[in-house]
Order: sequence, then C-alpha cells, then structure tokens
Amino acid sequence: MSPGSIRGRMGNSETLRAGIKSVYIYVFLFIIVALFSVVKLGQVEFFGRGHFLNPNSVINMLRISVPILTLSGAFTLLMIAGYIDLSVGSAISLSAVIYALSIRSGLGMPLSIALSVFLGMAMGSVNGLLVMKLQITPVIATLVTLNLYKGIALLIVPPGVSAIKSTAQSPMPAWINYYGRKEVLLGLPWSFFVALLLILALVVVQRKTILGKYAAAIGGNRNAAELSGINAVKYVWILYVIVGVFAALAGVARASFMSLGDPLSGDGMEMDCIIAVLLGGTAFSGGEGSVVKTIVGVIIIVCVTTGLMTVIPAYWQVVAKASVLLIAVVLNHLLVRSKSQG
Amino acid sequence: MSMESNNKRPSTFLGRMSNDSFISLFMVGVLIVIFALACLIVPNFYKAKNIVNILTNNWYIIILGIGVSFLLITGNFDMSVGGVIALSGVLSVYFVQGVNVSPNELANGLGMPYVVAILLALACATCIGGINAFFIAKLKVPSIIITLGTMMLARGIAQIITRGAQRNTSLPDEFGILGNTFVPGTSVKISVLIMVVLVLLAFAYEKKTVSGRRIYLIGANPEAARLSGVKVGRQLASLFIVSSFLAAVTGVLLASEYIAGLSNRGTGYEFDALVVALLGGVSIAGGFGSVLGMFVGAIILSVVTSAATGLLLSPHWQFILKALVTFLAILAQRYALDRRRR
Repeated sequence: MSPGSIRGRMGNSETLRAGIKSVYIYVFLFIIVALFSVVKLGQVEFFGRGHFLNPNSVINMLRISVPILTLSGAFTLLMIAGYIDLSVGSAISLSAVIYALSIRSGLGMPLSIALSVFLGMAMGSVNGLLVMKLQITPVIATLVTLNLYKGIALLIVPPGVSAIKSTAQSPMPAWINYYGRKEVLLGLPWSFFVALLLILALVVVQRKTILGKYAAAIGGNRNAAELSGINAVKYVWILYVIVGVFAALAGVARASFMSLGDPLSGDGMEMDCIIAVLLGGTAFSGGEGSVVKTIVGVIIIVCVTTGLMTVIPAYWQVVAKASVLLIAVVLNHLLVRSKSQG
Repeated sequence: MSMESNNKRPSTFLGRMSNDSFISLFMVGVLIVIFALACLIVPNFYKAKNIVNILTNNWYIIILGIGVSFLLITGNFDMSVGGVIALSGVLSVYFVQGVNVSPNELANGLGMPYVVAILLALACATCIGGINAFFIAKLKVPSIIITLGTMMLARGIAQIITRGAQRNTSLPDEFGILGNTFVPGTSVKISVLIMVVLVLLAFAYEKKTVSGRRIYLIGANPEAARLSGVKVGRQLASLFIVSSFLAAVTGVLLASEYIAGLSNRGTGYEFDALVVALLGGVSIAGGFGSVLGMFVGAIILSVVTSAATGLLLSPHWQFILKALVTFLAILAQRYALDRRRR
C-alpha cells in the first residue's frame, strides 16, 4: 500500500522486488528439480522406478500428493482472508475414518463420499461458528477443534486396532480404492483429476468471483471491508466450510489410497499447507496471494520430501520440512510486503 | 485494565479486585464445583493420596505453562515447547553416554561429565527459543507459524540423534537421581518442588517487577507500548528464550525421571500448556491473565483428566474433554467479565 511518492522514489528496487516476487517460486522449483535430477541421489533407486524425472516416479509423486493438492487451494483462500485453520489434519483423519467405516458397512461409494463431504461441511461450520460468531482467536479455536476431531476419530476406531480396516467379521470391499488408487488415465486415479478440477475451480473463484475479491479485501483490512458493506462474518464462514469440505475430500482420497481409515492419517497436514501457502508468497497477514503459486509450493514440498527420502533416512524428513518452512518464511519476508511494513 | 469500569465498581472486596484476580477466583470456584462433582461420581476420588496426585502429577505442564502464559498475555503463541522437551532430554542423554562403549550406535554418546552435559543440553535446547525470538521479534513473523516450525525442527533433531527411537543405555548412575528423588518424608518429587519455586518466582516477576508489568502493556496495545518507550522486540525475545529454557529444564527432568531420551517425549504438551493457560483465564486479546490463574487451570485439567481415568474412559476421551473444557472456559470467562463490566 505504498503511496505514489514512495513508489517514485524507490521505483527501481520496487520493480525489481516485484519481478523477483513473480518468478522466484518457479526458479526455486526449477533449482530443486534440477538438483535432484543431476545429483545421482547416491545411486539409490527411486522407489525402484529409476531417475527422479522418470515418468513413473513423477506419476508416483503426483499420486502421493493428492490430499495436499486437494486441500491447499482452499487453505490459500482462507489465508488470503487473513484466517487460519489448524484443524485440517484432524478433519482429514476423521473423514478418512468415516469414509472407511461407511464403505465397510456396505454403503455405496457415492453415498460414502457424500457422507464424508457432509461431515466436512459440519466441521468447517463448527470452525466458522467458533471463529466468526463466538469470536475466539482463529489459532486457538482451530487448535482446540484439531484435538476435538482427532479425539472423535480415535474413539471411532475400536480399541486394540490401529485403523478401520478389513476384519474377519466385516471385510473391507476391494473397491474402496476405486477413487484414490485405481488407475484411470496416465496411471493416475480419479482423486487426482478431482483435485485438478477443484484447483481450477478455486483459481476461477479467486480471480473472477466476488468470494475471491472479498477474501482479499477482508485480509487486507477487515474493518475497511466491513465498512464498505462486505459481510465478513458470512464470507469467512463460507471459506471455513469450503476448507472443511476440501479436507474431507482429501481424507476420502487418503482412505481410498490406503484402503483403510487411519485416525492419524492427516497429522501434520496443516503444516504442509502452511508451508505451501507461504512458499507461494501469500502474505502472513492475508490480503494477497495466489492459488496457482500455492500449488507450485505444494510441488516443491513433495519434491523435497520424496527426493530426500531416497538419499537420507526417513527421520531426517521432519528437519527438512522445518528448514523449508524457515526458508519460505525468510523469502516471504524479503519479497512480500505485509501491511505493517507497507 | 479498564478505567471506566473502575469508577462504576462497588467498593466491596469483590468489586475492588482487578479483573485478573477476579477471573482467577472465578476459576477457583469452578475448580471446587468440578472437584465436588468428581468426588460424587468417581469412587475414591476424595482420598488424600489422589488429591496429592492431582496437585503434583501435572508439574511439567505447569512449568511449560509459565512461559506459554506470559507469551499468550503478549498475544503470542509458543508451540515449540513440546519439541524442545524432546530435544533437551535427548541431548542430555546423548552428551553423557559413554564413548565407544558398544557396537550399538544408540549406546554411544559424547562421554561428558554429568553437570557439563546437562548445562550444555539446556543451552542447546534454549537456542530454539533464540530462533523463535529472531523470527518473531526481528522479522515480525506470526509466532504461530514460526513456533510450529521450530517444534518440527527441535523434534526432528531429536529424531536424528535417536534414529527415530530412543537412547537409554550406558548412562551413568547419577543420571536418574534428579528426576527420581523425593522430598524427604513425602511422596513429592524434586521436580514438583522446582515447579512450585518457579511458579512463585514467576508470580513475583509478574506482579512486582517493571518488566513483568510491561508484558501486560505489550499485550494490551503493542503500538502504545512501543510509543511509550517499551522495547517490545527485546521483551518478546527474552520471553521466547525463557519459555524455551523452561521447556529445556522440563525435558532434562523428564529424561532423568525415565532414564531415557525419547524423541517423541512431550508430544502434545504444547497444547496442554496452552489449555491450562486458557483455563486459567489468560487471554490472547488484550494483556490479561496471571500465572496463579494458569496454576488453577492446570489443577482443573488434572481433576478432569483423572476423573475421566477414574471412570475408566478410553484415553482418547482426553482429547475431546480438553477441547470441550477449553471452549466452555473461554466462553464462561468472557460471560463473567461482561457481566462484571456492566
């Protein structure tokens, strides 16, 4: 929000910053992909699929990243509006458990998915209610619902077993994986194309619809937005519901991919989303951001985690992710002008 | 706090006390009610042994709660404390383990003298607080994002040192003394004594020192605090470092108590610390709360969880109970304060 005089004075550095800002994430992605492709990864076979950029391994990475691809677009919109939902990981777990349970108890696939989506709407509405109506700080409200949803998911799974899966009395139908694993095109499952469709829809929502414009306006300055007649409570609530629904779809994809309902399957997803959104250059305090760049951020995270998995033991992954987060924060700080600085 | 309410308030004992003390007293009332209910429902709940347990078995959460409460009063979160516990515990074990004593890599450490190892582990784990302080006080990044990241970083380093498991062999005898010694003549551990001393120190700091009062000023209005000459950044930085130091102390005590360095020790403690602060009336919006309130909150949480255990509920109920209790506490406190201000 720099006035014209300031822009005139520091025009060069300002255009340079804008230029870097618009391309840096692609450069970042290119460097990482190039690095993993050139370095032979210590001669380790990439899941027995050969080279990093081998079609098989690319397809594998895309399959793994379906849940976060599904979710991160909606998460971006919420963060553009200046709000956050830390409960998405638990929402994924709970809907995965519910999906596996309803498939196992004989409901058809459309009905099971509908049930999970409905659950996602409910979870998103609860978050919206707590944050917007009861005005509990978003971080606290969604941290508490994180534990609430996680507790419910853990309670649904019977004691003594780790997940909702095939048992002697009630076998899991084999077609649970039709949505998330069975290959339909190019070796990719339905869930991937659904995620792609959702991303496209969100790009349109962000750029062309009232909801997207209002989200940016609310994130830029909620008071100003409300004074100019935007019903912030309503629109942010809608965003929370959208995030809930998309989290539920991500949970369905996860459960279908693994053919079981794991009550811990979504743990840590909120961090992945935050990292992707920050890498994508969305301002910390909201007001600006881009769904497309978040998706590039997702690809970076997936490349880093799966790429590293081939060279170093799994327990290094957490540190790798944390480092990517800190890098993202520094880049974000250098390149994105947040309101307080502008 | 609020001047206009000072004028209207009747000059009774209840009317003259500050809002902080009012909420602390309010939560003491809630504690008594909950305790009475638990005594009615749960068999043997009123026994002296159980009461001592309730007062003492949460000591680690209370120590964490001190730092987390102060930060919450200033409007910041510290979600890294759980990770710091794991890191300091694992480091203290790794530093004292003998050099080249076994072919098993997890049994070999650096062979330092006990006291040096403990001090060094505390110093290293406190560095996490330094990272928090740099990003939050200097770069003005939202605390929730950075501390979630440093939580991953700290726990990730602990996982690397323990290869994702734990270190518990080739430890000198004195390693277990600190955490397993009882105060003479009682069943109270030294750790509990440390907790009590720390709470009293924190209470004195909060009420009697200039620096302690500044915390409230920063929480109520950081901009006004800055303009009136408070070094907000420096104050926040030192609070983050203190919070990490307290978590590091807790980690060393826990490692000594279990005579093992576990990489997943302290998982979820950051949420518990936040919950006890919120239960005790610490508010994120506007420099409000007290360490004594947090202590009361910790006892409430302890009563609730041990009542749930007494009723033989599944441990997974803890997540849901904590969530519900927190929401109820936030709403009840807000209602009580609103009534009082009228």
